[in-house]
Amino acid sequence: MDVNYVGENLLPGKIGQFFIILSFGTALLSFISYYFATTNKEDKSWLKIARVSFWINAVSILAIGSTLFYIIYNHLFEYHYAWAHSSKALPTHYIISSFWEGQEGSFLLWMFWQSVLGSVLLFKAKDWEGPVMTFIMLCQVFLGSMIVGVQIFGFHFGSSPFILLREAIEGPIFSQADYLSLIPDGRGLNPLLQNYWMVIHPPTLFLGFASMVVPFAYAAGALWTKRYKEWITPALPWALFAVMILGVGIIMGSFWAYEALNFGGFWAWDPVENASIIPWFTLIAAVHVMIAYKNSGHSYFTATFLALVSFVLVIYASYLTRSGILGETSVHSFTDLGLNGQLIAFNATFFAIMVIALVVRKKHMPTTQKEEDIYSREFWLFIGALVLTVACVQMISSTSIPVFNAIFGTKVAPPLDPIQHYNKWQSGFAVVIMILTSITQFLKYKKTDPRKFFASTIASLIVAVLLTAIVSYITKTYTNLIFILITFSSLFCILANIRVLADAVKGKWKLAGSSVAHIGFGLLLIGAMVAASTNEVISINNTGYIAVSGFDKVEKPGDNLFLTEGEPVQMGDYRITYIGDSVAQPNVFYKIKYEKIDEESGKVQSSFVLMPFAQNNEKMGGLIGTPATKHYFTHDIYTLITAAASDQQAKNANIPADQKTGFEDYEEPATYEANVGDTLRYRNGFFVIEGVNRNAHLENIPKGEKDVIVGLKIKVVASDNKEYHVEPIFLIKDGTSYDFNKDVNEQGLRFRFSNILPKKDKLEIMVYQKPLPEKKWIVFKAIKFPYINFFWCGTIVMSIGFFMSIFRRNSDAKRLEKKQS
Amino acid sequence: MKKSSIVLIAIIAVAIAMILVIYTDSSTYSTFTEAKEKKTELYVVGVLNKEKALHYDPKTNANHFSFYMYDNDSTECVVVFNGSKPQDIERSEQIVLTGKMDGDVFHASKILMKCPSKYNQDQVEVIETNAVAFNK
Repeated sequence: MDVNYVGENLLPGKIGQFFIILSFGTALLSFISYYFATTNKEDKSWLKIARVSFWINAVSILAIGSTLFYIIYNHLFEYHYAWAHSSKALPTHYIISSFWEGQEGSFLLWMFWQSVLGSVLLFKAKDWEGPVMTFIMLCQVFLGSMIVGVQIFGFHFGSSPFILLREAIEGPIFSQADYLSLIPDGRGLNPLLQNYWMVIHPPTLFLGFASMVVPFAYAAGALWTKRYKEWITPALPWALFAVMILGVGIIMGSFWAYEALNFGGFWAWDPVENASIIPWFTLIAAVHVMIAYKNSGHSYFTATFLALVSFVLVIYASYLTRSGILGETSVHSFTDLGLNGQLIAFNATFFAIMVIALVVRKKHMPTTQKEEDIYSREFWLFIGALVLTVACVQMISSTSIPVFNAIFGTKVAPPLDPIQHYNKWQSGFAVVIMILTSITQFLKYKKTDPRKFFASTIASLIVAVLLTAIVSYITKTYTNLIFILITFSSLFCILANIRVLADAVKGKWKLAGSSVAHIGFGLLLIGAMVAASTNEVISINNTGYIAVSGFDKVEKPGDNLFLTEGEPVQMGDYRITYIGDSVAQPNVFYKIKYEKIDEESGKVQSSFVLMPFAQNNEKMGGLIGTPATKHYFTHDIYTLITAAASDQQAKNANIPADQKTGFEDYEEPATYEANVGDTLRYRNGFFVIEGVNRNAHLENIPKGEKDVIVGLKIKVVASDNKEYHVEPIFLIKDGTSYDFNKDVNEQGLRFRFSNILPKKDKLEIMVYQKPLPEKKWIVFKAIKFPYINFFWCGTIVMSIGFFMSIFRRNSDAKRLEKKQS
Repeated sequence: MKKSSIVLIAIIAVAIAMILVIYTDSSTYSTFTEAKEKKTELYVVGVLNKEKALHYDPKTNANHFSFYMYDNDSTECVVVFNGSKPQDIERSEQIVLTGKMDGDVFHASKILMKCPSKYNQDQVEVIETNAVAFNK
């Protein structure tokens, strides 16, 4: 049955789909042309075709992005992507985040960066353009295929972001022509992603991932065209760029997790996190061995292998996060879009390129017959790279458990406590790597005089030991040997590199970049270790162990603290008070006041208010808390709401207006048969029946001859001695009795003079009370993270170091180019 | 033999040994019955018994949450979690618990839930949306 749908704007989708096909086609054409341009150097027309199709591809990608943005920005909910990832209430900067919330958008982002990098290479790569661009365009073909979204012989080929809602989801409403009018709003963006870090973290991370293809393309291109030695120098600045950007992207993600997620930490060894840090480590290892090869001629194979495998691991990472294979082991992977086959093909192709290139060209690779000297920098750079690789092997094996389960049909579960599991291994590797980083600073390429080496090393070593004692004492990490070792090795590394930096100030500026990066990494490691090992939950709850039926076991104190509005609680050094909340739809901000009290004088030394918020998002499933953190120089106080009182008003708001009786807000009434002069109690005081007013009158109701209008004078005395007077009225008109209630709003009371009982000589009154307004409460958790600033600080220093190195290696590459020409 | 080759072989040996050790560190997905026998910490996969009440009363104890769960063999067991109630556990379609059995009570140290996909395609939610829309 064909339905003529009303109100759909189908043009943008058609334009977008056209550009998707165009971008895929041109990527394929460009790849093929670059291939023949490389094998067929005389025929310049191949290169021309390759370049033209590359530019068309780049423009198409921009067009796809703009169209998708137009759809999301204009809330065209007939498109599934806009409906699933955005809503009308979303502010503009989060509309950008919803752009890459879905897989299709993130592939698009990756393709976009790849075409940006490609256009830089078109101008910079010179005679490397052919081989390098061949591999980049091959990657672009695979990425493009992910969003094609066509059916070929029943095979689902890619998933298009321009698919319509009615095509993506089945539902009865789609048989209606005007179904769009029934879809008032999109499902919205996951509240966890509504964080400014989520606006910049994914583009940075994807730029990092995308730039990893460049060293791969250089290395593979070199093996392919047999220009073995030449690729290292031009690829080095690219590798450093990829390492810098990916590093920044990863730490941004960690900062986002710390600021916006509720697991209470900055690194959880989640498979998604591991997947991005593994290629980062291997490329760092690659950079070091590449430099070693450049300076000594050793370890060519290792350098090439690491550069190649890093990008293969990037693809493997995207397979892990996008195929849904991680299932229950990861909290934040994408959902399965049925792209499994394509992702595996993508992986397999690049893996095969790597293996074939390395195996076929193994014999021709440049080698040196001379053996490395033990007192040489290149030997220890090589060892360091190997240790880093083994560290990655550990991460890959543990993270890939679900993959092995899928391949071998086993049912092995990942370690019970992943954080402890990874920390155990990685802290050992970290110590070895940091010590290697330190001692290598004292070694020269080719050969070092052992006596000079020991003389200069020992001085730094002694200072490092002394500093370790001080730092361990201050940060209270002296209880654990591995913590002391991490502190020592990091400090040793920092000191050794400060020495190099001191030489740099004297004029050897060339080496400054690497030493700054090393110092940054040392700081990062100390910060991470101290913050992760000494963070303490300060909202420890020792009270309130009331046995619950069925569970009479006494339990450990918990991490969550219960707070009632306005009632201060002492928590460690702080007196904390929940002072209220404010609502900024859709978020509720809970104000928690922290006061540090001086024990002797009892005076408030310092105070601050934290406002963690929670979003009660029905569509996303309940209350989602976002922490608030107070940053100090030496520590952070992190606070998260884990439960809160639900809004009382909400209950009655659901009753339709025409069914309201005006009594919903009150509890069940109490009925009394009373006499004049009686005193009766209510929750907050008492009231006295003072007398009957026979002269009562009602406006608008004329009193007939036989009618009776009687008022009952009641004096209400509240617990604070305030008095209120009310007079409910009883009326008999034309033989029917009515009553008119009166309220004392200040006390939440309502009186009805409901009957006169002449036989008993009693007056019947009904008293309604409003339920006591339930005091607002929250349950929250607070964690203190000491010295976490070293972690962030180290990241910044490290990135500056990478940046300096890029400059240096880039000018090296330019010099080489000049020499050749 | 070159020094670097010796190191390489040594490191490969370490790597292999390491992988073997990793797999001794790994765990298995089991059931409440097994948990009762083993008494060690392990994973239990199952579903929430939505008919029985979830117990969380933050006023008396903000760190005590209990519920009933069926494991994959449909054995029912009381689960106690020393913490606050995970926000959307009622909606969960699968639960993975980490913890151990103590008597007849399973003490969970971690609760991982699979909810009908919060962020993406989801039939259930669509039907909900429609119901609201039709009332208008």
